[in-house]
Amino acid sequence: MTLRKLGAACALGLGLIATTAFAEYPERPINMVIPYGPGGATDISARAIAEPLGHAVGKPLVMSNITGAGGATGSVAVQNAKGDGYTMLFARVGSHTVNPAMKATLPYTLDDFRFVTVYEINPVACAVRPDSGIETIEDLVALTNKEGSSYSSSGVGSMLHLAAVFVLDEFGVENPLEKATHIPQKGGGEAATAVLNGTVTFICTNTSALAGFVANGQLKPILVTTAEPVVGFDAPTAVDLGKPALTQLVGWTGIAGPDDLPDEVAAKWGAWMAEAANDPGFVDQMNALGSVIHVMSPEEANTFIQKQYETFRALVDKLGMRIEG
Amino acid sequence: MSLFDNVMAGLALVGNINAFLSLAIGIVIGVIGGAIPGISATMAVALALPFTFPMEAINGILLLLGVYKGGIFGGSIPAILIKTPGTPASSATVLDGHPMAARGEAGRALGMALWASCTADLISNLSLILFAGWLASFALSFGPPEFFALILFSLTIIAGVSGDSLLRGALSALLGLLLATIGLDLIYGTNRFTFGDPNLMGGLNFIAVLIGLFAIPEILNTVWHPTGHLGNVQKLGKNWVTFADYRRCFKTIVRGSFIGVFLGSIPGIGAAPAAFLSYSEARRKSPNKANFGKGEIEGVAASEAGNNGVAGATLIPLLALGVPGDVITAIIIGAFMVHGLQPGPMMFVMNSDIIYGLFIGLIFSSALLFVIGGLAIRGFKPVADIPRRILMPMVLVLCIYGVFAVNNNLFDVGVMFVMGWVGFVMGRCHIPAAPFLIAFILGPMLEDNFRQAMLMSGGSPVILLRGPITWFFWGVTALTVIAIARGSLDKARETG
Repeated sequence: MTLRKLGAACALGLGLIATTAFAEYPERPINMVIPYGPGGATDISARAIAEPLGHAVGKPLVMSNITGAGGATGSVAVQNAKGDGYTMLFARVGSHTVNPAMKATLPYTLDDFRFVTVYEINPVACAVRPDSGIETIEDLVALTNKEGSSYSSSGVGSMLHLAAVFVLDEFGVENPLEKATHIPQKGGGEAATAVLNGTVTFICTNTSALAGFVANGQLKPILVTTAEPVVGFDAPTAVDLGKPALTQLVGWTGIAGPDDLPDEVAAKWGAWMAEAANDPGFVDQMNALGSVIHVMSPEEANTFIQKQYETFRALVDKLGMRIEG
Repeated sequence: MSLFDNVMAGLALVGNINAFLSLAIGIVIGVIGGAIPGISATMAVALALPFTFPMEAINGILLLLGVYKGGIFGGSIPAILIKTPGTPASSATVLDGHPMAARGEAGRALGMALWASCTADLISNLSLILFAGWLASFALSFGPPEFFALILFSLTIIAGVSGDSLLRGALSALLGLLLATIGLDLIYGTNRFTFGDPNLMGGLNFIAVLIGLFAIPEILNTVWHPTGHLGNVQKLGKNWVTFADYRRCFKTIVRGSFIGVFLGSIPGIGAAPAAFLSYSEARRKSPNKANFGKGEIEGVAASEAGNNGVAGATLIPLLALGVPGDVITAIIIGAFMVHGLQPGPMMFVMNSDIIYGLFIGLIFSSALLFVIGGLAIRGFKPVADIPRRILMPMVLVLCIYGVFAVNNNLFDVGVMFVMGWVGFVMGRCHIPAAPFLIAFILGPMLEDNFRQAMLMSGGSPVILLRGPITWFFWGVTALTVIAIARGSLDKARETG
């Protein structure tokens, strides 16, 4: 811990020195890559922060959606970019912890990026149809053990995929890959629809994606993975149920650059984000979508992501979920 | 609250100039965005989205819906004038719209596109208002097996757009199916035909394939024969659609509208298949069957009715279930949520004023689309008079820009050019491009739903026959295949 503190202090010190020396950055507009399509959770979050962030930066931010392959296409574009701070990426839980943990063929690893912040946390909830007869997570586990169950996701290697397996594993289902059938869908909306129309038994995804269905009584939440209860979700938390490990299972959005991003640039981003995320308009918009604004410094962000990645990787290795082909 | 109270509350929300202005601005943005190849209705809606955040909820949503409707119509303008669908939904419009323009009837084709679009839009909006609850519960009975049967039936469209030779059409469709397999496999997440290139992991970009297949061969043809068009000048002229045309196509338009409403209310299909299905139905029923694909006005009416019929109906799953019907409504759902509204059954209780406000706004949108669309046709009219040797380089620049803008990825521009040469060679060999496109859209849906159904049943094919909906589609598929086989045999007998 002391070593880490020392490192942080050094980085901060270097950052301060460097800020005076490289006062020019940014001297031109910054390219911000959104690796997911327009209108998705990442896109809305990115465009919502873009306005206050633009004021803090003082130069225009050019937002571009480079989509495809579950966020991999856009991530590769930033991985290959120059580490001068003019090409940055909106990274997401799916593209930067779940995918690297699950996919052997992914053209990048976590080490190819340097995170400057994580600014938004999305709690995860599991839900079933109200008429499914499943009232609690224990019911779901019992059903899975007895007859088998199924769950939907927005694709192989998506957070939803891992989340369902993670939850079943934590609650003691042995060999969840065999007992619960994964039925991947094309996207998050389709995944929720699959529960609604009875194609699958349950779904575990961000509370923002479920909030509407829960408020409308179309889906019943049976678990939230945060330590604190989530407003509008009448379900026990992972901590209530004695599974604190599940609190690692949250969605997030952050900003990253290529791994050779200089320290002074990272430090500047830390300061900008602290300023931008206080914007009341941004906070209101994100809260309306069910997100929690929580700005992390570059060091905190790296620690957080590394820890989540290791948790996911351990699960993937334990169950043999890694995709090699 | 009674219906009357609801309507009055809704009227109070939209009965002001701001609401109508938002809707009108939205339609203008949509028509222009749709008319520029590569921008497409989807991107126009996505670009307009952040601007609606500070607006009143209802105005913001009306603006986005305006962009959507305007965009779907706007896509028909370049489809007719320069053989480049501005938005995937207008691909079917190219089939007859462009031959009409080449014959000097661009004005008539554009006019019919507008009239059919507005009629379909009205029918679609009325269906939304009257049958939302019923259609929504119907949509929820569509699981993977039902989808599989529906898409299998939709593949029979290929016969309708193959032109003279069914064999060539099938060849084109096979090529489309093959190229659609590139990318990540949905069920196992493994790479297919990516050759280790991360750019191919997302599959071939649809807009790049679309523009490559339709626009680039036109440009290549102009390079091949720079003077081939001389003496054959396109003219918009005085040639406008007549009421007699409209009356003749009315049945087709209504049928197309209902096909659009039906497919639009089922989440996950979208406007392009609806346009093609409407087109092939119109062709099947028409006395002028042989003229389809050579500039038949009914073909334009059918495709535009089909795609605009979807535009109102995709709001059915959105409002009644909170489920986005297509990519565009997935973006619009974001606007609802940013304003703290949660679409779904409860919204009809909690925010009934907004729901009824939207309904009233939507009814006016058809009329506004008619006025703004008419002005847009006039605005884009000079394009038809530009000599091809000047127009084509401009189109090329627009295509490159548009395809790049979809994903900000130069690789897509490369895909467009490769597909352009493929399209050019196909044209030289008289292989039609439309079956390719249909297969490219429907192929992945067919495969994914089949495999999802197999996962559901643990590998037993019986699930594909699990209910009346699947029986119905299997039945009509069988009937259509028999009819096609008979038609081909008859034709073979006549010629042989």
